[in-house]
Amino acid sequence: MRVIRACRELGIRTVAVFSEADRDALHTRFADEGICIGPANPLHSYLNIPAVISAAEVSDCEAIHPGYGFLAENPEFAEICEASGITFIGPRSEHIKLMGNKIQARSLAERAGIPMPRGGVEGVTDPEEALQGAKQLGFPVIIKAAAGGGGRGIRVVHSEASFRTSFSMAQSEASSAFNNPEVYVEKFIESPRHVEIQIMADNDGNVVHFGERDCSIQRRYQKLIEEAPSPAVNEELRKQLGEAAVKLTREAGYVNAGTVEFLVDGNGDFFFMEMNTRIQVEHPVTEMVTGVDLVKEQIRISAGRPLGIKQEDVRIQGHAIECRINAEDPVDHRPSPGTISFYYAPGGPGIRVDSAAFESYYITPHYDSMIAKLIAHGRDREEALARMERALEEFVIEGVKTTIPLHQRILGTMKFRKGEYGTDFLESLKK
Amino acid sequence: MDIKEIREILRLLERYGIQDFTLERGDDRIRVRKGGLTAEPSQVRYREIPVAEMPPQAPQAVSESPSPAQGGDQLAVADNQFLVTSPIVGTFYRAPSPESPSYVEVGSAVSKGAVLCIVEAMKIMNEIECEVNGKISTILVENAQPVEYGQPLFIVDLV
Repeated sequence: MRVIRACRELGIRTVAVFSEADRDALHTRFADEGICIGPANPLHSYLNIPAVISAAEVSDCEAIHPGYGFLAENPEFAEICEASGITFIGPRSEHIKLMGNKIQARSLAERAGIPMPRGGVEGVTDPEEALQGAKQLGFPVIIKAAAGGGGRGIRVVHSEASFRTSFSMAQSEASSAFNNPEVYVEKFIESPRHVEIQIMADNDGNVVHFGERDCSIQRRYQKLIEEAPSPAVNEELRKQLGEAAVKLTREAGYVNAGTVEFLVDGNGDFFFMEMNTRIQVEHPVTEMVTGVDLVKEQIRISAGRPLGIKQEDVRIQGHAIECRINAEDPVDHRPSPGTISFYYAPGGPGIRVDSAAFESYYITPHYDSMIAKLIAHGRDREEALARMERALEEFVIEGVKTTIPLHQRILGTMKFRKGEYGTDFLESLKK
Repeated sequence: MDIKEIREILRLLERYGIQDFTLERGDDRIRVRKGGLTAEPSQVRYREIPVAEMPPQAPQAVSESPSPAQGGDQLAVADNQFLVTSPIVGTFYRAPSPESPSYVEVGSAVSKGAVLCIVEAMKIMNEIECEVNGKISTILVENAQPVEYGQPLFIVDLV
């Protein structure tokens, strides 16, 4: 829907591809055309590159927006689009490939002079050798899959004793999940905040950053709540983070939208983590505080237009918070598919709802459990918080379980209200 | 079988575009054909249930130009017929090339494995084979028409 809305406003016709399970989905209904590309199983539909390309060809599409997830960061897909004469709305395939390999991304960041967690244990396959490297870094360390990302294929090791087994297991997990057993080891930063910078670059070499988002509220590396600006980032740090992100973007020759992720520790030091080569789920909070339509910019850049805004024009105004509403049990997070029997979305000042859900909609078990994003904007963090709490109360979704009660609980905690939380916040809350 | 279950069944049938559906459970039997319910002459005791309304669809965007015909278009085939649907997205062709004769016509006898048509996707000509023995009753799409996954292509009378 997000992409359809941007296209509508730009006067661009849209064709939605859908699986049989999504025949009644919103995007299917609201696009100008819809083409069924396969059965519910994503392997045969949304991940089925020939089916997607074929659908674009029969409907004479000039461009494809991959959204986030599925083929959004698949470099082969981007390449095939390019080869088929279809514009891929996003970065070039070589950049997706580059940033998709976390070890290569790290080297690039190093060359660009961007601070990162101490590492140096890369391209090592022997657990003994890796252990030596880990000891030099000092425990705790974190082992990550080179071809991983998005929080998958990660292991934290606190002591020498468990290192060897963790290392070997990480290698086999990486192999089965990402077809690539390469892993690397970094110094683990304790209770960090996850702070990311939204960048946008056009084909003329203009790179702009739109400030940061704090995404520290996570469960098993899946983000749950995001906010912009970050309560832990002051003007000076924002400038440093922004400059680092822009530098990396320029160094790579990257074009279109991207997000550079950092970890910020208790001393205000920041470290590069990875770069995401897609528009992200949480982009609305940046849109709310900057007033920029990021998806429209993506489309414009892909059409060869220059970036419509300069760095000095970017203003952060007010504060925005986003809560991801998932069809899950709010306590054990078990997915709760089913039919929504009653649906009422909140409104009023400063409230934005980006949702795929509606009354009588059947949430299938085949895909992600996220059904809506609730975003609240206020003139400061207090007002944004108050609006979010008010909106969460107004939001009625019956027939399935949702994470709304969990969000209400998080927002009610002293720590969250004070903005004092790290990536371990949710885990400790649940204990 | 209570009204809640029946509503849920109807909702599912509508969603999957099913035209003809029968459910037997113990002494209960319900058959739904698009447009209403029919009483089945049967030895089994059954309950006649009043037609419940199909759940209303959310507003559809009106498409101005001809779109690839929606596979979701409702189609009824009788018990002695078989519906051939497209397994891929692409362009439907009646013949292997513009100069060649069509693979099949209405009335053509077909057997399992017989090629019925081509669906071209990304420059690859995919031959669509028949899964049953029978005779072509209806050809549902036109030559060079774009088709989607699951779109009905032929109705075959079974022999």
